[in-house]
Amino acid sequence: MRQALRRWADAWAGKRRWPALAVALAGFALLAAAAPERVTSEPTALLELHSGSVTSADGTASQREAPLTLPYHWDRLHQGRPGSAVFSLPFQLAAAPQRPWGIYIARVGSVFELRLNGALLQASGDLAEAGGDDYAKAPIYVGVPEYLLRSGDNLLEIRIRADSGRRAGLSPVVIGPAAQVRNDYFAPAYAWRFTGSVLLAGFSAIVGSIALALWLTQVDSGASGAARRDAMYLWAAVAEFCWAIRVADGAITHPPLQWVGWGLAMTACYAGWAVAAMLFCHHVAGWQRNASMVWMRRLTLGILLASLGATALSLVYAEPLWLTGWLAVEIVIFGVYVSVFLVATLARPDTARVLVALVALATFAVGVRDWLVIRLGDAYGETTWVRYTSVFFGVALLAIMLVRFHAASERARHWTAALAERVAARERELAATYARLEAVAREQARTHERERILRDMHDGVGSHISAAVRLLRAGASSRDELLRILTDSLDQLKLSIDSIHLPPGDVGALLAALRYRMGSRFAASGIAMEWAVDEIAPLPQIDGAGMRQLQFLLFEAISNVLQHAHAGKLRIEAADSAQALLLRIVDDGVGFDARQLPRALRARAQALGAQLTASSRPGATEICLRLARESPSAALEPREGGG
Amino acid sequence: MHPMNWVGMDVFQLFPGFMLAAMHSDVLVNGKKPWSVLVVEDDSQARRFFEDSVQRSPQLLWLAGMGTVREAMDWLATAPVVPDVLLIDLGLPDGSGLDVIRAAVTRYPNCEPLVVSVFGDEDNVLASIEAGAVGYIHKDAAPEDIAQTILEMKAGASPISPMIARRVLQKYRSLKASGAAVAAELAPAAVLPPTLLSTREQEVLTLIARGFSYAEIARLKGLSVYTIQTHIKNLYGKLAVHSKNEAVFEATRLGLLQHGG
Repeated sequence: MRQALRRWADAWAGKRRWPALAVALAGFALLAAAAPERVTSEPTALLELHSGSVTSADGTASQREAPLTLPYHWDRLHQGRPGSAVFSLPFQLAAAPQRPWGIYIARVGSVFELRLNGALLQASGDLAEAGGDDYAKAPIYVGVPEYLLRSGDNLLEIRIRADSGRRAGLSPVVIGPAAQVRNDYFAPAYAWRFTGSVLLAGFSAIVGSIALALWLTQVDSGASGAARRDAMYLWAAVAEFCWAIRVADGAITHPPLQWVGWGLAMTACYAGWAVAAMLFCHHVAGWQRNASMVWMRRLTLGILLASLGATALSLVYAEPLWLTGWLAVEIVIFGVYVSVFLVATLARPDTARVLVALVALATFAVGVRDWLVIRLGDAYGETTWVRYTSVFFGVALLAIMLVRFHAASERARHWTAALAERVAARERELAATYARLEAVAREQARTHERERILRDMHDGVGSHISAAVRLLRAGASSRDELLRILTDSLDQLKLSIDSIHLPPGDVGALLAALRYRMGSRFAASGIAMEWAVDEIAPLPQIDGAGMRQLQFLLFEAISNVLQHAHAGKLRIEAADSAQALLLRIVDDGVGFDARQLPRALRARAQALGAQLTASSRPGATEICLRLARESPSAALEPREGGG
Repeated sequence: MHPMNWVGMDVFQLFPGFMLAAMHSDVLVNGKKPWSVLVVEDDSQARRFFEDSVQRSPQLLWLAGMGTVREAMDWLATAPVVPDVLLIDLGLPDGSGLDVIRAAVTRYPNCEPLVVSVFGDEDNVLASIEAGAVGYIHKDAAPEDIAQTILEMKAGASPISPMIARRVLQKYRSLKASGAAVAAELAPAAVLPPTLLSTREQEVLTLIARGFSYAEIARLKGLSVYTIQTHIKNLYGKLAVHSKNEAVFEATRLGLLQHGG
């Protein structure tokens, strides 16, 4: 059974590739096609050494010499037991070369020494120390000085020391002119295996860093208020970092740990990558909140531990079958998981799931191929392909991030637009409310104005005209009396109109307008007028209604003088100060009983909040109105005085 | 007595000869032809009242009386005589008397319109002055006051109420402020009259706004009443000229502000 499997694996790895697989894995096939082919029909000068003899020791029996056919796959031939071997590869040259030659070996190790015709060409690693350096990872090129090569028989001797499970052994050796060997064999193989490993490790590290940064920064405060990170990014980061280390191992000749320990670390990385990738898929599928997540955690932990156990068994006890067997189990588990994921994706496809499903399928297929080729096949010198497919995994992750950020920015744009619309709607609402309030305020102002005009008409023109009507009805009125009443009425009307334009609180303008309107009366009365009015600062406490009260009050007081005082002189004074405005109407008329101030005047003064005083004797009558100024400092004065 | 009586009285007290001249036309208009008067008033009773008043004065010549804007415009378009004085009511049945004032002063720059007003309220008077009127008469004035006011005006008197004075000052100040703002932006010096009011005119206007008579102002400022009247008459002219520019100025200012904003 095992032999059959191995043949099958050889068929996969070797010369007869399945066309179907080549189609299915077109991308990887391209890579594979570039891998160097070893053919014997080279130009005459170039030799590929396949046969000779080998003396090996693996601790099971004494040293023995045997015929050799390369490749020499140590783990296969020695069942994974560590040991050492000496390979003798004789070859013949028709003539000694004139130019430097070179030797290319696809794989040799774990450590080795290379001698040509007894001369040491290269020593890589310590043949006496087990489990240290590992030179079986990168292809080898050794320069050969032309004088070491002889016409006729030559002998290439290679000593190796092999560690278990480290892919120790020797692949066919190519020897020929230096430039040809280096350019045709060594350079492409080195580019793929060494440079490729470094680049892949770098790519994985970058993708992992991005994923880790996203996991750290993309904090979503859910409904519960607790900050929640998206674990999808964490698993992607873990997978990529594991893979970066695992792939970087292809370029590490001097591992930081002794063998077995380092082997376990690499297994942990490989298994870590695999389980993290599974968990990543779980999140992409949106199953992280399912009950399956608990089982998933147990399963992944189990896989990790089992991998470590199988590796330890296989390396420590030199039983590679343990690891091969476990890898088979692992492949089955992954196969089942990938199938479930595929089915779920087909049921509910989206960009992220389809991408991940394709990558998972490809990775799984390549994983099967690698298992067959590396673990079962005898093809020594082959490398794993899965290292290349992991790139697609990283690309898929980046694509998912882009899709998510696109969706997020779309949502943000949508929210911004919705928010702007709501703000605009609220603004319209406010404007409408404001307009309504303004309309109400305007209506209120109109109502007040109407009330004021009605009151004016009632108190002024109305009362005058009704007095005139009464007089006419009584039939006892003189023409002069009627004229006076009607003139009064018109004057009141003019004062009403003036008061519409008077700014509230501007007593100076009020006095000036009053003098102007009463000009004809002054002239008619023949009384000499003295106008002693200061410049008056506005009194803010007097509003429109107050202005009307003051206008009526002064009009009536002055009219009384003109009509009844028989005065020769009338003096109107306005003395403004920081505390109060004092308005005085002084005449030299007959006077009146100052205790009996007209009721109308008192009422208006009261309405104004003004202090009205009068003193009168024949020849000297004074009516004084005191309008106190409301100054904020006035309220502080007593306290200051007390302190 | 005419509505500006307290002003007029003081003038006459200071210059008795002037008063006599105004009252008795023989002396003043000796050797001069009488002033021709055109009346536009839709109230026929009031028109007759004005006609009587004008006819009674030997210094005045009654031209015609009419009741609508159209009639007045037609008359002005084909006037056989230049009217020296136009008595005009603002509220006419087919339009505003302001249009007639504008037409009259455009066609006859020497014609002096007097507005007939019931109340002498600020808005109407100011609008009339800006249209080109040089004074106004109260409708309730005594008949002899009508003729007298016309004669005084022709002799150089220009009545102005404290309310109008206050409004003119207010307008001037706001104009100056906005003018300064615009000037600071783009300096359109050509648009705004450099000085709408002289310092002296401002002082006189301020005192009028405080209620002082011409005579009192003359005493306070050490000027003659005639000088003060000249100031006011100049002011009337400036307001009329300014009102024409104002529309242009406002439009320019708004345009500039829009441009600047």
